[in-house]
Amino acid sequence: MLNKLRLERWTPAFFLAPAIILLIVFRYIPIVLGFEEALYTNSLSLAGARKFVGLNNFIAVFEDPVVWGSFKTTMVFSLVVNPLQVGLALLLAELINQRVPGIAVFRAIYLVPVAISMNVTAIAWGLALDPNYGLINGIIRTLGLPRQPFLQHPSQALWSIIGIISWIGVPYWSLFFLAGLQGISSDVLESARVDGAGSLRTFISIKLPLLRRIIAFVLVSDTVVNFTLFAPIYLITRGGPQLSTHLVMYEAYRRGLVYGDIGIASAIISVLLIVVVAFVAVEFIVLRPRH
Amino acid sequence: MNRDHTTLLRLRKARRYILLYVLLIAIAIAIILPISWIVASSFTTRETVWKNVLPFSWRAFFPADFTLDGYHAIFEKDFGRALLNTFFLGAVTVVFGIAVGAMSGFAFARLQFRAKNFLFALVIFSFMIPGDLTIIPSFVLVRDLGWLGTWQGLIVPGLANGIIIFLFRQFFAEIPQDLIDAPRVDGATWLQVFMRIILPVSKPALISAGVILFLGQWNNFFWPLLVAPDPELRVVQVAVSIIGVEQQVSLWEQMFASSTLAMLVPVLLILPFQRYYVGGILGSGLKG
Repeated sequence: MLNKLRLERWTPAFFLAPAIILLIVFRYIPIVLGFEEALYTNSLSLAGARKFVGLNNFIAVFEDPVVWGSFKTTMVFSLVVNPLQVGLALLLAELINQRVPGIAVFRAIYLVPVAISMNVTAIAWGLALDPNYGLINGIIRTLGLPRQPFLQHPSQALWSIIGIISWIGVPYWSLFFLAGLQGISSDVLESARVDGAGSLRTFISIKLPLLRRIIAFVLVSDTVVNFTLFAPIYLITRGGPQLSTHLVMYEAYRRGLVYGDIGIASAIISVLLIVVVAFVAVEFIVLRPRH
Repeated sequence: MNRDHTTLLRLRKARRYILLYVLLIAIAIAIILPISWIVASSFTTRETVWKNVLPFSWRAFFPADFTLDGYHAIFEKDFGRALLNTFFLGAVTVVFGIAVGAMSGFAFARLQFRAKNFLFALVIFSFMIPGDLTIIPSFVLVRDLGWLGTWQGLIVPGLANGIIIFLFRQFFAEIPQDLIDAPRVDGATWLQVFMRIILPVSKPALISAGVILFLGQWNNFFWPLLVAPDPELRVVQVAVSIIGVEQQVSLWEQMFASSTLAMLVPVLLILPFQRYYVGGILGSGLKG
């Protein structure tokens, strides 16, 4: 009996150890390692070994025009893509929340982009938006409109990337809003209807306030995920044309793994991480349950 | 007067329906057309691949002249190997990811221990920070472990997944206490309770976790690109990207063929398991 009691004391540790150890080693140690690596230079192109450089890499993040430019481009990109995706996802959720015949078929179709990788989406839309033979220009020209450069012109490239990733992002985030809308009690909606509120009025004055927490959650999650956007930039634009799509994750990859300067790449990531943690902290405060 | 009113209402309702369906169909087209264009183009030759695009014709969404050239070419380049590798990677991740996630989810839902809130905060915080954000220091860590170009380098870092742990915790917390009390009184250990009582009643959570983990690995690109780009361990997304961009000549028909196969598997997986997939990812957002 005593033996059994002693065994039971270790039960929680037995169940928790694999997950907690793996999380610490592969999720938390890299965060610390990132801050540590940022203090060193170990550029493979230099003959010298790893050298302590203090905060030089962090200073470089703010002083190097290409690195700092990638932060600025990412900020502009974030300010456009996240509100856009959240807004469209809300509208899409409202649309597929309608109880009309066949709605299940449409919901299934709208789930398809969610299953497709960003990688394939980027390659496929990269081809579709090609200025010379792309599908979209084919359609545009058939309609008698002028050919568009899309990803090959600095004025359109970032917008094209935003469109491409929204093809997945909008249906994905709408799933969260749909669940939120379905959770609104029909009594509330019925009494609004009795009071004479139309669909638009009900959406703005009743549904949106009730979805406040989900909107906050999605906005923060979407922002954080889009900070790490990499595949479409790597696969289609390589940051161009004229650095117009040079987002911060691609710059970190280029510095760290193409040029072998893990130090500055880690500094870039550490700065981004601080921004992300600030966002998540705000989210936690906003979403804290009120009693 | 009264009849006029009902007619008006009926008309309004009809107008509303038409508007709704126009929107629903327009969005469905925006999703289906690009996909059918990719699939159709995957059955063309390099010479005819753009035939119906410029000048544009509706035939662009159907194969112009059915050939399997693109598929033959990618399978000669070991695309089959990449598919098998990814199935293996997905299967191993599902098995061990579920084991790791379900065990800790059980502890968080049902056991009492010190620092529970702190440890659970570690779990929650881990899925608020995307793994790709720290991908470069993770690469440094795995490199220092000597795991570059190995299966463990591909698999192990992704086994503990905060969303999966959270999903299991939520599900296990809802299981009625009586189901657990009876065997405990009879002297069963927690491990026995977990294996014989909890897991058998948790099929929905197990399916959700399996689908999410498999899709995650199937669609994973950045990490395998860094850790295991070589042909022996190459996964499907990396293979697609190599056919897509790292060539001197544009291999159109092969790009379309590899993209078709890369999206076919997750689409076929998500449709029958819609409810489980959606339920699984929603748990992470709504109850948190």
